[in-house]
Parts: sequence; structure tokens; C-alpha cells
Amino acid sequence: MQTAQGSAVEQLTADGGAEYLTFTLGSESYGIDILKVQEIRGYDCVTRIANTPAFIKGVINLRGVIVPIVDLRIKFNVGEATYHEFTVVIIINVLNKVVGIVVDGVSDVVALPAQSIKPAPELGASLDTRYITGLGTLNDEMLILVDIEKLIGSDELQIVDSTVDNTQKEAVNL
Amino acid sequence: MTTPRGENETVDLNRFNQVFFEECAENLAEMEQILISLGDREPDPEQMNAIFRAAHSIKGGAGIFGFNDMTVVTHVMESLLDRLRNQEIPFAPGMIDLFLEAGDAIAMQLAGHREGKAVDQEVIDGVRARLQQAIDAGAGAPAPGLPADQEEGPPQQEAEQLPRRCRLAFTPDPEIFTRGIRMESIVAELAELAEPGEFHCNAQLMELPELAEADPERCLTRWEFTLLTRASLEQILDVFMFVADEEQLQIEEDEPVDRRTPEGEPAPEQGIVPAAGRRVYDSNETAPGAFGRRGNETEASFRVNVTKVDQLVNQVGELLITQAMLSQIAVGLDPILHETLQRGLVQLERNTRDLQGSVMSIRLVPISIVFNRFPRLVRDIAAKLGKQVELKTAGDSTELDRGLIEKIADPLGHLVRNALDHGLETPETRAACGKSPTGTLQLSASQVGGRIVIDVIDDGAGLNRDKILAKALECGIPCSEAMTDEEVWQLIFAPGFSTASEVTDLSGRGVGMDVVMKNVQAIGGRVQIASEAGKGARFTISLPLTLAILEGLSVAVGEEKFIIPLNVVIESLQPKPEQLKSVNGRDVVLVRGEYLPILKLHRIFNLEAEVTEPQRGILVLTEADGERGAILVDALLDEQQVVVKSIETNYRRVDGSAGATILGDGRVALILDLPELFTMHKKL
Repeated sequence: MQTAQGSAVEQLTADGGAEYLTFTLGSESYGIDILKVQEIRGYDCVTRIANTPAFIKGVINLRGVIVPIVDLRIKFNVGEATYHEFTVVIIINVLNKVVGIVVDGVSDVVALPAQSIKPAPELGASLDTRYITGLGTLNDEMLILVDIEKLIGSDELQIVDSTVDNTQKEAVNL
Repeated sequence: MTTPRGENETVDLNRFNQVFFEECAENLAEMEQILISLGDREPDPEQMNAIFRAAHSIKGGAGIFGFNDMTVVTHVMESLLDRLRNQEIPFAPGMIDLFLEAGDAIAMQLAGHREGKAVDQEVIDGVRARLQQAIDAGAGAPAPGLPADQEEGPPQQEAEQLPRRCRLAFTPDPEIFTRGIRMESIVAELAELAEPGEFHCNAQLMELPELAEADPERCLTRWEFTLLTRASLEQILDVFMFVADEEQLQIEEDEPVDRRTPEGEPAPEQGIVPAAGRRVYDSNETAPGAFGRRGNETEASFRVNVTKVDQLVNQVGELLITQAMLSQIAVGLDPILHETLQRGLVQLERNTRDLQGSVMSIRLVPISIVFNRFPRLVRDIAAKLGKQVELKTAGDSTELDRGLIEKIADPLGHLVRNALDHGLETPETRAACGKSPTGTLQLSASQVGGRIVIDVIDDGAGLNRDKILAKALECGIPCSEAMTDEEVWQLIFAPGFSTASEVTDLSGRGVGMDVVMKNVQAIGGRVQIASEAGKGARFTISLPLTLAILEGLSVAVGEEKFIIPLNVVIESLQPKPEQLKSVNGRDVVLVRGEYLPILKLHRIFNLEAEVTEPQRGILVLTEADGERGAILVDALLDEQQVVVKSIETNYRRVDGSAGATILGDGRVALILDLPELFTMHKKL
């Protein structure tokens, strides 16, 4: 099994494919590059931060690191933003930042060869086309592939503070 | 040789030299420690290598830093050690004394360079010669284990005698040559009596006749011989038999070395000359050249990778969190049933704090590192501007976090340049104002509570209110005549502001004070200005002592917890109804005759709080940057040390917070930034 998967991955990287973590937001299936995912955990102990948009749920303590939590369900107005023991947070590591995103559910890790990914048309997905790298097909189901790095870095999410320059950040990090 | 070289070198080189001196002292100390621990034993290969490494490092360093005199002794020592290490020369117990002496000689040279102490060249030459002799003697000696050959030279019975130093002065009869006596044979005979390498011969002309009167057959030379020998006085005198009368020959003998050879052990035959008695190394702390004993510098420094220190700080931070967590759990336990546990936790807390203090102190460095850059800068700038400036510094030893030092250097430099350029007047202007033509610029640092305060004070013209206002107006910076002086001074921190009528290459480009402000704020500091026209100006930078950990008061507001830095807290109180007033629709509290605004955290942070009316909650009176306010919270929870974590690492700046921390229960709590809260409160 493992070797089979390993060779599959090798083959995939050879022809430009990759592995994706699939998750659901409302009725839509999304996929993000598995290499950007640090871990998956439950939702708890979020400290609210004042004067932030509703989709910023606050920050959590992830083993001593303070990580903001974004609820994509609220941001994209899909699904129902309820929090219980099955609520899933995907911890993403992009742009030297660790960010948690709340989704409806994590489904699977799938390998998609490059040729099976079609460019994204202007479609009525909840997510803006800017953040979509393409559409994949998996078991006759459409998978929306998200450029998570672009999404996290976007002004829309307001996670990356564009007004603070790097030196200042470093200074605080000391 | 004896003059310290450092004096003529630049300051920077001096700092490098300092590093070498430290290293050298450490190496010497290490060497001495090993040698002393040996007693008379032969060092094992590891110890031998350690000694060798120390000598080698000293030699290398001395070479690099140009202390060539120090390489001389170390080089010979290194050679001997290398041969011992490779077992080319058998070890002899006397070598340990020799090495110790060599170490002392090097230490003396070190002290000469470091503190300008006198160096006794004779001692150094002596040590060097004896080291060389040990090498020479050893090279001819059999390898250990082989039967020793019969020694040549002095007769057998004399071999038992201990060597001693003899000084001979021979003033021959001028007619000596006519008697068929050849000086060279005398010299050769004496040299044979001496220990290998321990024979010195010096010839002096007693008088210098006119060339015409010079007679090649007359001996006008006075001879001086110094030799270390086991030969008896008779043997020496024998050499001069038939040559010299008694009055022509003076012999001075030193006391033979009184080192007792243990019974059964063969006398040192490998040419090792024991030094004049082993020093009592352990007690004789003031022995000349005793190194590593410069004042109280016994505990020398050593270099540690910065990342290791940071790691340590982080780990202590985590430990603090764990400790806080345990304390929190313990609160819920029955104190009678768990008395020992409670006691243990109190102990743990104390130990954690001690540990944290020690660890944090590793990161602290004196501010003199920054201050030392300025004398040169001030001199250069003053010369360029044609101003006379005296720079004074105070509180050089004030320590602050290593991370802050670098970050404060630039803003401070800016303020200094600014003071020289805009603050201090030219000597003529100063004289016209009745001031001394030499202006004073003072840099001072001190620790005030949990903060470091750095003042840049000049006795120049001070800030010009009208000029600043006019300029602000011109630059489109919002301002008004009604502003207080302090508000006006703050205008100079606005981006693009500069009052210099002309742009100089020093300052006045309009990028200055705003950058200073930004840089200082970035490290959690603030800049305040006090100025008096004609008297001068004072720029005060206040910085947190460290950015990593702070003392905080944790408070509850609704479901959330916040940390108020303890250094801004004055007191907390439950207000009585008669203390509460309303001014322009804003709640204020009257405390000892002073009306303080009430900052409702739940309003500022949009929280659901249990307490919304001041009389039911608790007011925490705070003061920051000269501003006072009362913060309304639901409850006071605890006073604790918190590890400051950056929210910005993974998120953005959060208004009103100076970072976050992780509480004992694993939750994140924001640390309040009081000055920012005051501003936010005013905007509400």
C-alpha cells in the first residue's frame, strides 16, 4: 500500500500532479495542496480578538505559538457556523505564517495527476476565482482546488497586515 | 616589548584585543588547572592534548593580534609539548614546573599588554631557554623504556649534584695571550660543564685604545659567563687554573635548586631543570603573573551561540506557563489535604522565578556598547558643523536586552545627530546668549521600574514652538495654536516633518524623527520630549527591560482574560458611588482629588461583560506615559509573570494590545497596551 502510494506520488510529481487534502464547505468540495497543511485539529479555546471581522474567530495556543483562526464558512457564507467536538480546524503553514481555517469537514487526501486538472471557469463558487487554481474531478465529483497561499495572503482575509513592514514584525518577535 | 600596544590602535582593534586577552587568560587558566591537577604524574594523552591546545591557541591568537613577543615562549612550549605528545621526548616530572613557569611568563606578558604592567624580560628569556633546553636534551635522550645510556660530560659523581646558576666575571691579565693561552678553549671547557643550552658568554671591551696604539696581542676584553651547571666550584676553577689569578676571577653562585628528588626515583637526567622551588599555586594568589586573577575576574566569560540562549529563554517561558498552570490547578484543591503539594508549588514558583531571572540576565548587555559609538560621531559632526560640543555619558553600565541594543542604536544616533545639528548652537550664538561656547550633549541611561530610560539632553536652543507649528502647517500636518507644548513637540514625529531650513548631509531630509519614533515604538518603547526655549531639550526614550517576559496582572472581562502590565498599575479599587462622576457624558472617577477617565474594556473590545457599571466592578488605576486612567474590569484574577508572545508572527497587529501570552489553562490572553488604550478610549 505504502509503496504503491509512494510510486504514485513519484509518478505524479513527474507529470506535474500533486496530492490534495479535500474538505467541504457547505455542499462544495475543495482541495488544498497537502504540503501546505501542517496538521488537523479540533476547535477549542479560541480567544476572541476585538474589532475584527466575524470570520476571524480569534487566536489559539498551538503548543506555545499563537495562531489565528479563520472560519471560512463565515467568510464564504456557506454551511452553518456551529462549533462542537466535530468542528475541524486545518492548520495551514504558508508565507511563514501558521493559520488555522475552520471548515465543515475534512474528507480525504487524494492524488490528482496534472492532466485531470482543468482551468477554473468563471463560476459561481463561493470562493473568488482569483484563489482557485483549477478544478479537479474525483469519482465524478468536482473538486475546487484552492490556492491557499494566495487566499491567506489576501487583503480579504486581513491576516497578513500589509501596513506593518517586516522589520517591525521582527522587532516584536525578538 | 613591555609597552602595551593597544594604546596606539583604534578602539575597534582594542575590542578584538580584549577578546584575545580573555581567551588567552582562559587558556592559561585551563592549562594551569590541568598542570596542577597532575601533581608529578605524567599527563595522559587527553590532558597532554588539552595543554597543547591551550598553548597552541595562545600562540595562534598572539600571532594574529600582533603580540609577537608572546609567541616566542609559546612557540618553544608548543614544540616541547608536541614532542611529548608524540612520545619523542620522555616525560619528566620537572616539566610540570617548567610549564607552570612558562604559563606565568606568558601571563606576565599578557598583563603587560593588557594593563601595561612591567615585563621582566630576563624571566621570559630564562623560561624560553629552559624549554628549549628540555627539547634539546630530550631529543638526545633515549625513548622511554630503553635502558639509559651512560651520560657523557660531567663525571659520574657530579651527576648527583643539583644544577645551579653561576655567574663568572673574568678580567684577564692584558698579557694573557703572550702566555699562550687561548680564550676559545676556556670558553669551550666552560660550555662543557654547563647544562646543554644554558651557557652564555659575553665579552666586553674594557678600554678602547687609539688605533695606532692598538696591540693585537694585548687582551683588553672582560669576559662574563653565565651558566647553569652541576659542576662543582673546583671543576670551574680548574678551567681557569694557570689562567687567572684569584683577583681576576669573580664567581657568583646561586643556591642550587632545592627540589628534593623522591627516593628511589632517578635524579632528573633528561636535562630538565627544576625551577626555583614550586610555587604554592593554590594559596599564592598574588604571585606575579598569576593570571585569571585580575581583580575579581576569576570567572571568565565564554561565548555561547545566541540561538542557544534564545532557546533557553523560550524553554524557561514554557516552564513559566506550566508552573502557572499547576498553581491554577492547586487553587481548586483543599489546602489542608494537599498541604505538601501546595508547599512544593510555592517552592517551584520561587525556583522558576530565580531561574527566569538568571536566564534573562544572560541576555542583558551594558548600554555602553551603544554609547561608545558616539564620542567619535559627535567629534566628527561637531567639527563638520563648526560647533564645540562636550559629550557626557551617564549610566553606561545600565543593562538591557541584547535584542534591544542593536535596535536602539540607530534611533539614538538620529537623536544625537539631531541635537548636534538643530539643538546646539554655534559658539558665536552661544556666546551671544551668554552661554558657554561649548555645548553639552548628555547621554544617560537608567533603569526605572521595569523600563530602561535613555535621555539625550542638550543645552542648546530648545525646540521652537512657532517654527514647528508653521512647518507643520506647511507640510499639511494637522495642528492648531491651541495645542499644548507637548502636543506640538510630538508633531516633529509626523512623517515628512523637518524644520531645518536647509538640507544638510547630517539631518534635515525630512526622514528622521518619524523613523526614530517608528523604530522605538517597534520595540515597545516611547519617545518623550521636554524642551525649554534657550535652555535646551531632552529626548527621553523609554524601553521595556526585556521583550520576552513581563509582570502582569491578569483581569477578567466577561469570558476573556487580559493582562495589564504591572509596571503601569498604580492601584485597584472598588469605587464608591460618590466617587463616580460624569464629564461630558464620559465616566470619570474621583481618586484623591483627581478625576481619572474610566476605560471600559468591554466597550473598547466589544465584549459581553458581566459588569458594565463601574460601581459593581473593579477599577485598575494605571499610568502610562504620564497619562492616567482607570480600567474597568469584572475581576482581578492573579498577578503573574507572563511570557510575551507575538500575535504578529502569524497574524496582524491587534489594536490595544502589546502582544499576547498563554495562560495556565492553555488559553491565549492579550496583553494590554495602555497608551494605545487611552487613544482608543478617546476615539470612542
